[in-house]
Amino acid sequence: MTGLLGRAAYFARETWINVRRNLTLTVAAILTVAVGVMLVGLGLMARYASTNALGRWQGGVQFEIFLEPNVEGGQADAVGEELRNHPDIERIQFITQEQAYKLLEEMLVDEPELLAEVSVESLPPSYRVVPRVAEGELIESLAAQFRERPGVYSVETGRQQVDAIREWFNSFRWIVLLMSIVLATASAMLIFNMIRVAMFARRREIEVMKLVGATNSFIRLPFILEGMLHGLAGGVVGALAAGVLRNHVEGLFGRSEILAFFRSFTVTSSQFTTATIATVLMGVVVGALGSAFAAGKFLDV
Amino acid sequence: MIRLDNVTKIYKGDTRAIDGVSLNIDKGEFVFLVGESGSGKSTMLRLLTAEEPVTDGEVHVAGKDLGQINSWRVPYLRRNIGSVFQDFKLLPQKTVYENVAFALEVIGRPRNIVATQVPAILELVGLSHKQQSFPDELSGGEQQRVSIARAFVNRPLILLADEPTGNLDPNTAQEIMRLLDRINRTGTTVVMATHDQTIVDQMRRRVVALRSGQVVRDEQQGVYG
Ligand SMILES: Nc1ncnc2c1ncn2[C@@H]1O[C@H](COP(=O)(O)OP(=O)(O)O)[C@@H](O)[C@H]1O
Ligand SMILES: [Mg+2]
Repeated sequence: MTGLLGRAAYFARETWINVRRNLTLTVAAILTVAVGVMLVGLGLMARYASTNALGRWQGGVQFEIFLEPNVEGGQADAVGEELRNHPDIERIQFITQEQAYKLLEEMLVDEPELLAEVSVESLPPSYRVVPRVAEGELIESLAAQFRERPGVYSVETGRQQVDAIREWFNSFRWIVLLMSIVLATASAMLIFNMIRVAMFARRREIEVMKLVGATNSFIRLPFILEGMLHGLAGGVVGALAAGVLRNHVEGLFGRSEILAFFRSFTVTSSQFTTATIATVLMGVVVGALGSAFAAGKFLDV
Repeated sequence: MIRLDNVTKIYKGDTRAIDGVSLNIDKGEFVFLVGESGSGKSTMLRLLTAEEPVTDGEVHVAGKDLGQINSWRVPYLRRNIGSVFQDFKLLPQKTVYENVAFALEVIGRPRNIVATQVPAILELVGLSHKQQSFPDELSGGEQQRVSIARAFVNRPLILLADEPTGNLDPNTAQEIMRLLDRINRTGTTVVMATHDQTIVDQMRRRVVALRSGQVVRDEQQGVYG
């Protein structure tokens, strides 16, 4: 017991001495780890969020029935009436031409020249429809049913958009993955170098330790702990940054009037916890790998 | 305790540092390894601690064949061997007490053992009153006594000393020899490389003389040459 306490005290002391020795290098390594794992965390959360959002859309939370721009009032009302009385339909929302124009205005706020080409009268009014059961097949059959009604111009189930968005997220995921790998490698190399410097600074102690019969793992452990500590610090900073960014992005999307899709672009709290833990662990692993390589390379019997 | 069978050590670059040496050292012996600079004394000691592998032949230390031993067992072998050097190899930022305690801590000895063994060994080498001093506050002889305390605190079976008096004046060297003699009388096997003629002649112990890596003389109660 006292032996264990003695060892723990020894490792704590030695690790702390190493950390203090080179503060600038330490900070650089921690920040690199932080940025790298932050990307990993964000990538993971984006993956969850897109899966959540896509799942909801694919299941078909809603679809949209566009009417002819010059639809007769009676035809529009007839469609509305049928929707309201339909047993499979939960609720509907009518979007007037003016409202449609407003939405477009928001969407094209940076491209006024495009907006200039459309007029209120040229836009189709529409019904946004939320079915009682969110199920792809039901939606497709409902869509087919209403496509036949007079005055209906088209029915959008969102399937094409969902496919396009999924593709976009897939490439985004790959880019994030690639960047995280590059940054993780860079941080592991920085930590590798730090541990090498630390070991060189302590070469006399290491020489004496070998002389009196300390095992290699005993000699290495404080250095590996040091690397893991840096990784942990970077992981925590990165996870915090990812958390802040997540709130920011969700806030932004939550207000989005443009695309209901983005409003469902959120992660659940358990997914957030998973992503955070994965982020921190990633930091620790990067630190452990960098330092373990260094400790192995610069220590021979 | 130590046995060399037809041992040859060739360093990279073709230096034949040890050349066909066979030697047997029993438990409790005190052996001087003499010979001029470059004759292979330090190399011989480094073979015994497995710091260097042999090129040919067999080395047995404390019942272990070093050619067969697993590399992870080498540290455990070294716990049976204390080493002392001409340049002391003390850690300058640690006190006398810490330098000696370090040797026990890093092999995982419990705190209570450290707390009793370190003062006891410092008492033995006569440095109880300097426990809190740093190495650069000590004379050469005192520093060498700290390094002997560190080598002996774990009560090894064997003590290897490579020119331990090389940096010391004759009187201080005498003190160190008295200390090594005392350690030898506890049953510890002592092998000391030296080219200090006065000391060897005065102690009248076994003398193994090396020249160009070969044993040219091996005498009980011998003299330098
Ligand atoms: N690490 C080494 N690499 C190459 N040659 C060495 C090494 N150590 C010693 N030698 C050579 O081996 C020979 C014996 O050296 P050493 O054992 O140090 O002798 P001594 O201790 O008796 O002075 C010398 O020729 C020396 O130059
Ligand atoms: Mg020598």
